[in-house]
Amino acid sequence: MAAALTLDGVSKRYGDFQAVKDLSFQVEKGTICGFLGPNGAGKTSTIRMILGLQAVTSGQIGILGADDGRKVRDRIGFLPEERGLYKKMTPVDAIAFFGSLKGLPIGEGRRRAKEMLDAQGLGASKRKKMKELSKGMAQKVQLIASVVHRPEFVILDEPFSGLDPVNQQGLEAVIRGLAADGATVLFSTHVMQHAERLCDKVVLLARGQKAFEGTVTEARATSKRFLELEGAIEAVQAAALPGVSGVEIVSEIDGVRVLKAALGQGGKGQEALKAAFLGGLDVRRFELREPSLHDAFIGLTGDNPDQDQSVKPARAESAR
Amino acid sequence: MNRTLLIARREYAAYAKTVGFWLSLLALPLFAVLGGGVGFLAGSSETTRVIAVVEDGPQAVGLAAAVRSALAEDGARRARNEREAVEAVSRTTGGLGGPAAQDAASSVSRERVRIVETPAAIGTAAPGTAQETAARDYLAADRPKADQIDAVVFLTREGGRPGARIWTSRATDDRVETFVTAALKSANRKSVLEAAGIDAGIVDRTEAFDPDVTAFSPKSVTGGEISFRDRAPVFIGLGAGFLLWSLIITGASILLNSVMEEKSNKILEVLLSSASATEILAGKVLGVALLTLTVMAAWGGMGAAALISFAPERAVDVGQILLSGGMLAYFALFMAGGYLMYAVLFAAIGAFCETPRDAQTLMGPIMMILVVPLLVMQLALRTPDAPVVQIMSWIPLFTPFLMIARLPSEPPLIEVIGSMAGMFAFALLMVWIAGRAFRAGALSDVKLSWKSFATAIRGGGK
Repeated sequence: MAAALTLDGVSKRYGDFQAVKDLSFQVEKGTICGFLGPNGAGKTSTIRMILGLQAVTSGQIGILGADDGRKVRDRIGFLPEERGLYKKMTPVDAIAFFGSLKGLPIGEGRRRAKEMLDAQGLGASKRKKMKELSKGMAQKVQLIASVVHRPEFVILDEPFSGLDPVNQQGLEAVIRGLAADGATVLFSTHVMQHAERLCDKVVLLARGQKAFEGTVTEARATSKRFLELEGAIEAVQAAALPGVSGVEIVSEIDGVRVLKAALGQGGKGQEALKAAFLGGLDVRRFELREPSLHDAFIGLTGDNPDQDQSVKPARAESAR
Repeated sequence: MNRTLLIARREYAAYAKTVGFWLSLLALPLFAVLGGGVGFLAGSSETTRVIAVVEDGPQAVGLAAAVRSALAEDGARRARNEREAVEAVSRTTGGLGGPAAQDAASSVSRERVRIVETPAAIGTAAPGTAQETAARDYLAADRPKADQIDAVVFLTREGGRPGARIWTSRATDDRVETFVTAALKSANRKSVLEAAGIDAGIVDRTEAFDPDVTAFSPKSVTGGEISFRDRAPVFIGLGAGFLLWSLIITGASILLNSVMEEKSNKILEVLLSSASATEILAGKVLGVALLTLTVMAAWGGMGAAALISFAPERAVDVGQILLSGGMLAYFALFMAGGYLMYAVLFAAIGAFCETPRDAQTLMGPIMMILVVPLLVMQLALRTPDAPVVQIMSWIPLFTPFLMIARLPSEPPLIEVIGSMAGMFAFALLMVWIAGRAFRAGALSDVKLSWKSFATAIRGGGK
């Protein structure tokens, strides 16, 4: 499959701060790629470089056959992390305006805007001003504004942030729809569940460096299956169970512990459970867990994606 | 339509659709009318001061008659001025507005002081302290309106020199004092001249003489007598200079606020993914320029309509001045250069700011720079070839204001062309600097300071 996006040894430095280091990956046409990493991992900087908003310090980027995102900006749709639209404009006007900047005639933009707003359940808000809309509604409008020109490549920077669960589900459907229509989607997130459900491929970023590139299944496979045990059990007792290669105490209250016991290569949960009962361990809960993307991420990077990885220094980022 | 024009159109529409824009459009003509109206009302509502004059002792005999005579002369002079004003209005309006002009002139030029009979309580009191006490009591007491007087003037003559002590009900009002001073000066002049043996009739005629002065200049339009046509350039220069100044302040402020709004609402990043920083900057500058042109056209149209309606001869003069020697083209070029210089600078500052407070760091010094041409512009009008004006005209930041003010006085062509070239060269430099700063500021999260601004300019689009 042909690549819609290729990064080759891309680095970005702001003064002494290395935001992105030697990053290489590619996204195939028509696929959904999750660009994952905790806050401050370098996702937004990378996206800005892909769009051509910022210059790379070193390395090369190829997007839709061009060596600079600015050359194909009309074929790209972009939803930034920090969102905003003109407060005094109506959704239809705002969508048509941003569409027109991408080469879509104003009239056609207005027509599509109305159609898409109706489809998103915002038909009644078409004539309201943006400042009158709720945050969730405004985010939907902004998403529509970023794809109204039917781009070949859609970049969504943290598209789920600030949305309630219902709207998150709706957005997932939109992303699937974009891909079904043939667009390539790259979206950044630090919430692994979305990526797990949507992505054909994920790229994990930690401290500006690529930690993993592959499918969700491949990512999960990098992490071990594990047992979750709860009861008055010592960590050493759990570690002695057959097939267990390591134990971590998750919590402990009044002598009752929750333990996470990783299963080694060929380790079987049933054998460990049998041994626990035969050994007389006080097991009150036993669960065999497949690793999630979240677990894989922690395993691959050693970081919790839900937490900030680094404090962003105040820096002068330059648009091009 | 290209992106620059699309952004310009949005910028224009965003402001042109607001009520505030239309209010500001009407504000200048409204204030002009209100200003004139308030001045007229203030003049016409000024009440006549009612005074009583008392000759303080036998040595002051004759001074009351002199004061009355001065008042009569003043009345005659007012009547003459009123007649001339009404005739001038009738001439310029072709007879239209005559009665209205008569009413207006009458209300403004009516008597300011009236002398009445001295109240008996004061007139019958013994001269000196008793009389002054009576006057003070009279002024302090509440009396029916018909009996009220505003001041009692005791006329004196000591050592042959006329003088006065004035008791007034209004301590802050010096109108009576001024009138009496002038009247006594005149009385003294007469008595001195008469004492020197000059006939009283001659003295009176001399006092009443009002010279007819006419100024000529070889540089006047006719090559002889100086007329309104020759003096109008000064007013046009002043008007154009202030117009440019207010438009730059207004336009640049709109730009600053617009960019700040986009920065704080996180719209700039979306725009940057759709258009280059240069296209955005150019679009915004163009959009606001069109907005200010709309304001200029509206103000100019209203001014022209008013001038043509009420003073068609003056309108012809103004038209001839503006259309002569490429004056309009020069105005347009200086305005374009001036606007460009300041607009891009304000837009670049806006790209670093999310609130007006953020912008204060850099706006303070820039506003101080903008005050300088306001001060020098007035000197440039009176003495357009003063060395300080000539030197400052070459400083690009001041060039548009000062040269526009000087243009109607026809400064040397080398100064016009040279300063204009310098201004445009500097404007291009500003566009380059502001472009770099705008690009850096648009995605920056650093706080605005002189240091960060300078760093952004050095770093540019890297």
